Amino acid sequence: MKKFDYLKPKSIEEALTLLDQYGEKAKLIAGGTDVIVMVKQKTMAPEVLISLQAIPGLNEINYNGFLSIGPMVTHRMIEKSELIKKDYSALADAVSWLGSIQIRNVATIGGNICTAAPSADTATPLLVLGTQVKIKSLKEERVVPIEEFFKGPGETVLKKGELIKELMIPKPLPNTGSAYYKLQRRLALDLPILGVSALLSLDKNKVTCADMLCTTSPISSILHKMEEDDLVCKEVRIALGVAAPTPMRAVKAETLLRGKKLSDELLEEVAETAAKEAQPRDSIRGEAWYRRDMIKVLVKRMAMKSIERVIQPEETVFPERLW
Amino acid sequence: MEEFINVGKRIPKMDAEEKVTGKAIYIHDLKIPGMLHGKILYSPHPHAKIKSIDTSKAEKLPGVKAVLTGYNIPPIKFGFYKDNTPLKANKVCSLRDEVAAVAATDLDIAEEALDLIKVEYEILPGVFDPEEAMKEGAPLIHEEHVGGKEKKPTNVLNLPWRLIAGDVEEARKNSAFVAEDRFKVTWVTHCCMGTSGCVAQFDLKNNLTVYSITQIPSLEQRDFTEALAAMGLKGKKARVIKTMIGGGFGSKLDTYAFEYIAILLAFKTRKPVKIVFSREEEFFATSPRQPAIIDIAQGCTKEGILTFRDIRMILDNGAYTSWGATTPSVMMMPISSLYKVPNVRYIAKCVYTNNTYSQAMRGYGNPQATFAIDSQMDILAEMAGIDPLDFRLRNANTPGEVTPQNFKIVSCGLRECIDAVAQKLDWRQSRGKRDGRGVGMASLIHVGGGARVYKSDGCGTIIKIDDFGTVNVFTGATDMGQGSDTVIAQIVAEELGVRVEDVVVTHTDTDICPWDVGAHASRTTFVAGNSARGAAKKVKEQLLEIAAKSISESPENLDIRDRTIYSKKDPEKKSPLGKVLRAAHYAAGGSMVMGEYFYDPNNENLDREFKGNLSVTYAYGTHGVEVEVDKETGQVKILRYVAAHDVGKAINPMLLEGQVYGGATQGIGYALTERLILQNGKVMNPNFLDYKMLTAKDVPNFETIVVETNDEFGPFGAKGIGEPGLVPTAPAIANAIYDAVGVRIKDLPITPEKVLGALKEKAK
Repeated sequence: MKKFDYLKPKSIEEALTLLDQYGEKAKLIAGGTDVIVMVKQKTMAPEVLISLQAIPGLNEINYNGFLSIGPMVTHRMIEKSELIKKDYSALADAVSWLGSIQIRNVATIGGNICTAAPSADTATPLLVLGTQVKIKSLKEERVVPIEEFFKGPGETVLKKGELIKELMIPKPLPNTGSAYYKLQRRLALDLPILGVSALLSLDKNKVTCADMLCTTSPISSILHKMEEDDLVCKEVRIALGVAAPTPMRAVKAETLLRGKKLSDELLEEVAETAAKEAQPRDSIRGEAWYRRDMIKVLVKRMAMKSIERVIQPEETVFPERLW
Repeated sequence: MEEFINVGKRIPKMDAEEKVTGKAIYIHDLKIPGMLHGKILYSPHPHAKIKSIDTSKAEKLPGVKAVLTGYNIPPIKFGFYKDNTPLKANKVCSLRDEVAAVAATDLDIAEEALDLIKVEYEILPGVFDPEEAMKEGAPLIHEEHVGGKEKKPTNVLNLPWRLIAGDVEEARKNSAFVAEDRFKVTWVTHCCMGTSGCVAQFDLKNNLTVYSITQIPSLEQRDFTEALAAMGLKGKKARVIKTMIGGGFGSKLDTYAFEYIAILLAFKTRKPVKIVFSREEEFFATSPRQPAIIDIAQGCTKEGILTFRDIRMILDNGAYTSWGATTPSVMMMPISSLYKVPNVRYIAKCVYTNNTYSQAMRGYGNPQATFAIDSQMDILAEMAGIDPLDFRLRNANTPGEVTPQNFKIVSCGLRECIDAVAQKLDWRQSRGKRDGRGVGMASLIHVGGGARVYKSDGCGTIIKIDDFGTVNVFTGATDMGQGSDTVIAQIVAEELGVRVEDVVVTHTDTDICPWDVGAHASRTTFVAGNSARGAAKKVKEQLLEIAAKSISESPENLDIRDRTIYSKKDPEKKSPLGKVLRAAHYAAGGSMVMGEYFYDPNNENLDREFKGNLSVTYAYGTHGVEVEVDKETGQVKILRYVAAHDVGKAINPMLLEGQVYGGATQGIGYALTERLILQNGKVMNPNFLDYKMLTAKDVPNFETIVVETNDEFGPFGAKGIGEPGLVPTAPAIANAIYDAVGVRIKDLPITPEKVLGALKEKAK
């Protein structure tokens, strides 16, 4: 492995000054589960690594009317947060599937989105949860919606001399549920073949067929029952990972569903639309046709899971496979 | 039933604490004063002429002590076909071809030096499909290699694998039902936790010591001695010392270029040289399981009695030849002898391509062949309208049978295994619903009493016993993690009437330990176990002889139990073992208690027709699985996994279960997730992220059933169990998937894409 200097600034200002000083020669390092791998694989050859480990305050989860997650918060910390599990379930799902416990203990959410892999597990939950990214440089501080953050595989809007200071996630509307599913080939240490997140806000809390949801009835029959309840989807967001060069929102699919009465046929159409919006490709990790097919299946399942979480919020346990 | 003190007990592996606390010394941990680090430059092209190599810049880099290429090394040839060289001159034939090597004071310098070596290539067209490689006009991998009657240049190896018994054509005519299918299996790799590596060192007299993680210390010693001769060091000695081995699974049954490179670098620099593979190298530069294209036909009568089995196989040999090319010899075993089948024909061809070359891997061809055979057993059963359970029972092997390959079946618990699996899975109720859940089973035969693939199938043991009753066992066997040291200790302790903790097993050094043919063919418990027992018997005789005087009882009336020699007639007449030993050592004209034994099983080499009783006895087993298939995603979930094995006798049930769990886990990976993805000869997934070895979270709860048939030739009745655990896994799962959703997947791994694709095809 190529040798590098390792600096550990004690404040954001010091980190930004070092970043400015070393310019192209420097890279920021958070948990190191991506950066060190890239250095070893020679896809990155920084002379200086600037660690954010010693900066106080960056590894905190706070709630002040909105959820604030520091960039140095590890996946394991998120996984253990009851608040996130309850109100931001899609994110809890995502972190519980990332890598292994050992990796989750060091890998950070800031690192996960800065690496900007199309497969980043936390990206699609952050998309459906309406995350704002607070970015800081020596000169300015700006806020970018997460939709605009990813520019391409490995590329973000971060400019030279900038770092992420905070992720801000608004309080969800009442009766909101969200879920993420990672389609993978094994149950740990895997990248998704496809990642699907959904968030649904409903206009109604009581659903008569609630008890049916934990049965093995097919989704269609559950939804059929729901139609009688006039369940309207007030707000919806759908996001897909590994379906395009960046994690993406399925905007057309969302539009189709927003403000509409939920029905089996409509969800089917929404999922079809999401699949059409996506641009999955063939790779050794999965074939395009399969990814597109799975968008159809999983968008619907994640919508259902979100509804289930509105109706049965205490049932936050997420099965490892969905049948 | 005889009552045992040490045999049959769940005793943890002797090296368990050392390993789990990180104290065990693996090759990666080994440091020798003055040691240099070697690194290998591989070819960037799968098929190319080397036009020129310029190493001058690398040689000048401070810290670099030697740079070798195929142009400045002696002519060492290695491998089963002697078609491989440590560093390639003139031509490269695959992307793992070693072109140059560097020894430097540290690894970073060695890596930097590799970047400074300039090689000019002239790219040649490559061939990556064995069927393409067989065609006239295909690029020739080795131009000098000729074959056929006309001795024309060809990619087809001169290995005429051909087994014929009975009359297949006639039997086909007389069959009520005939199934014909093509199955395909691809590369999978061993995924040893410890990557490959060695340290080579010469003394001042030019004798060689190699610190190694081999499964074949004695044969490796022979290979290295030959290499020394090729280096002009005829008559010099080669010594192999094993460190702790981080997994073998067959990967260490041959010698490799990196070992010869380390030896050559050590000779050039006069310093110890260490080469350890990175994980990436471990994936692309070690030899995986042989891929195969399998055309199979089987027939049966109206009553469901097998009439014939006819198999043609094409194996992708890769660019060089290791033991992978000989896996057809083991495939013949299930082809001729799994279930009773009177007429058999098997023809296999190994074909050079510009892909990676293959090696032995747990099962040695058996998993590939069994996948085809036992998948098709279900297909044939359905054609005949018979429950696959009944179909298997009707054709199950039985004790005393002589199979078409002339295997003499001694103990055989196949029927019991099939029944046990069926019962556990509630077969009749669970089967045939096609509701997304389904059950499947498959069986296996494997050598269980050694395998005479070399002229000798032997293993030696030396036992000495000290003043305090500590028993030192020097065995030829190799413990590569499977726990053979513990099993040998149990066998010796049982025979000598001491406790397992009194026994110290040493297996690590060819200067100290007796000869052995290697840790392969699931032979260690059987062969090394019988050898150890034989040596222990000799020691026991001596002990009783000595004790006879002091106890004043004739030796035949004495026995040893719990470290005490006692009279069987009058148990009050006794003496502690240590006391007897000290008396012997310190007496005037004293004696030393020591015994040696060489056990070579009474089995046969295969003859020219590939027939003969390869093993003294055979292991059987049946695996049954219940799966659930997600019809929308094609994902397969294993709900239950039952593994029944006829093991003769479980010397250590806990280690035995470990072998079954490990084997079945590897088998599930083979069935569902694992594959080396090669594109134009390049391994596209040389890491654990993209090579989908299963994790602890994926492993189902294995229900192991041990069927004890107490084999008359096994040590305390035991047969081999190292490989069987993964042999029937893939067909059992494929059969269960068929039962669940009615689609038959004939190529491995059975990915969700394949299942979903087949479901869509079926719905059309």
